[in-house]
Amino acid sequence: MNDSETCKFFDIETQRAMLALKIGIPGSGYDRYAAAMFLYACGELSHEMLEIYRRCCKFDFEDPHALARHEGLLVD
Amino acid sequence: MDQQFRNIEVPAEWDRKGLPGWCYHSPALLDLEKEALFKTHWQIACHVSDVPEVGSYHTFDLCGERGIILRDTYNAVRAFHNICRHRGSRVVADERGQCRNALVCPFHGWVYNLDGTLRGAAKPNSFPPLDKKEFGLKPLECEVWNGFVFVRFSDGPQPSVAKLMSPFSEEAAAYRMDKKIPVDQIWTEETPVNWKSVRDVDNEGYHVAMAHPALQDLYGSTYFDEPYVNGVSRSFAEFHRAGGRRWAVRNYTKFSKPQNDLPEHLHQAWVYYGIFPNAVIAMTPETAIFYQEFPISTNRTLLRSGTYRNHDEDRQQRAARYLANRIDRETVEEDIQLTIWSNESMEATSFEGFYLSDLEYGVRTHHDHLREVLPVYNVDVAPGEDKVEVLNKKLGQSAQ
Repeated sequence: MNDSETCKFFDIETQRAMLALKIGIPGSGYDRYAAAMFLYACGELSHEMLEIYRRCCKFDFEDPHALARHEGLLVD
Repeated sequence: MDQQFRNIEVPAEWDRKGLPGWCYHSPALLDLEKEALFKTHWQIACHVSDVPEVGSYHTFDLCGERGIILRDTYNAVRAFHNICRHRGSRVVADERGQCRNALVCPFHGWVYNLDGTLRGAAKPNSFPPLDKKEFGLKPLECEVWNGFVFVRFSDGPQPSVAKLMSPFSEEAAAYRMDKKIPVDQIWTEETPVNWKSVRDVDNEGYHVAMAHPALQDLYGSTYFDEPYVNGVSRSFAEFHRAGGRRWAVRNYTKFSKPQNDLPEHLHQAWVYYGIFPNAVIAMTPETAIFYQEFPISTNRTLLRSGTYRNHDEDRQQRAARYLANRIDRETVEEDIQLTIWSNESMEATSFEGFYLSDLEYGVRTHHDHLREVLPVYNVDVAPGEDKVEVLNKKLGQSAQ
């Protein structure tokens, strides 16, 4: 299975919802990162943002958007 | 139950010896046992109800191998080696848990879909394109039998679990074990003996009258063992209503009630299936239990057990299960002491080995199964540690 097959196989809306899981939910850090990996494979996310989600994944209370803003990857 | 192919008679003449003492404390033999017995024979990892929902997982470690049992997106139970294809880390570090989306390796962050395929490597742009199947989690051989999830780490001599357990298929199906749910998490305890000493004690009921007053009170007069034949054994006992002199037994026999699904001859039965080399599935009207033992070293063993109850249990059944558990807990503690006494004898120079009763024929047949896999068990005097493997190979070749 390659990246484009992955994108067809899974429900992209479900993964977008996973990416937006509420900060602090147990296990949500891994869920957001797993969703980010999917959306990266589908071309919906940059590798810089994927890396932000990776850095946050072990910390359910870490907001990836806050880290991205701190790193200058996102602006308010 | 179809027993036409199982000869369970104790022969008039048989060799009443056990295994030689050196077999219980030889590191070289233990290495062979890990490879030829534990990794190549079916092992119970958990029950389907231990992974109840999509994304539920349960891990299972054995002799240096690591497995993960997982409920995939289509609700199917799958098993994989719990080894990241990147650097070999555990993909799942906890004993059990739930993931909503995918498995994330805690080392570098490789991500795997619930069907085991690779969703993506961490920092994907640092790798060439990776095939999602080729770099997916390695599948682990897995079979579900009456709700119990069996895995096997390497090819081995046993047939499928269904075929192996076929002598008991009708009886086992009556218990609807696949519908049961866990009472608690899987229990483990280390004990300071060789794993075979645990099995030697469990493979005979000769000691019950002496060592297990509660079991004896419950069903001692009716208990009997069927030996290991083609890798499986069976023990059976029935309790009597309103019997028992001990508090737990007396009340258990009062509260235990016939289960609707069970045929009449099993209404008051406690049944045990031994599965070579190291496991038992036990059924009572209230529960299905598995227990097993794994070597940690020549003189340390991990005991592991899971208990499952009827999903629609009422208060009376719950009370009966509590009382059955009291009887079992007492029995386990008594057995642990017996295994220590049995095991320590194996290092005493004056001990000349077992001399078994007809009521311990199950011990002999288990040992015979062991000898078939590893002929070096037939050597009476301890070979040098550096010669065990070679000697085993030589004996295996000459037997062919």
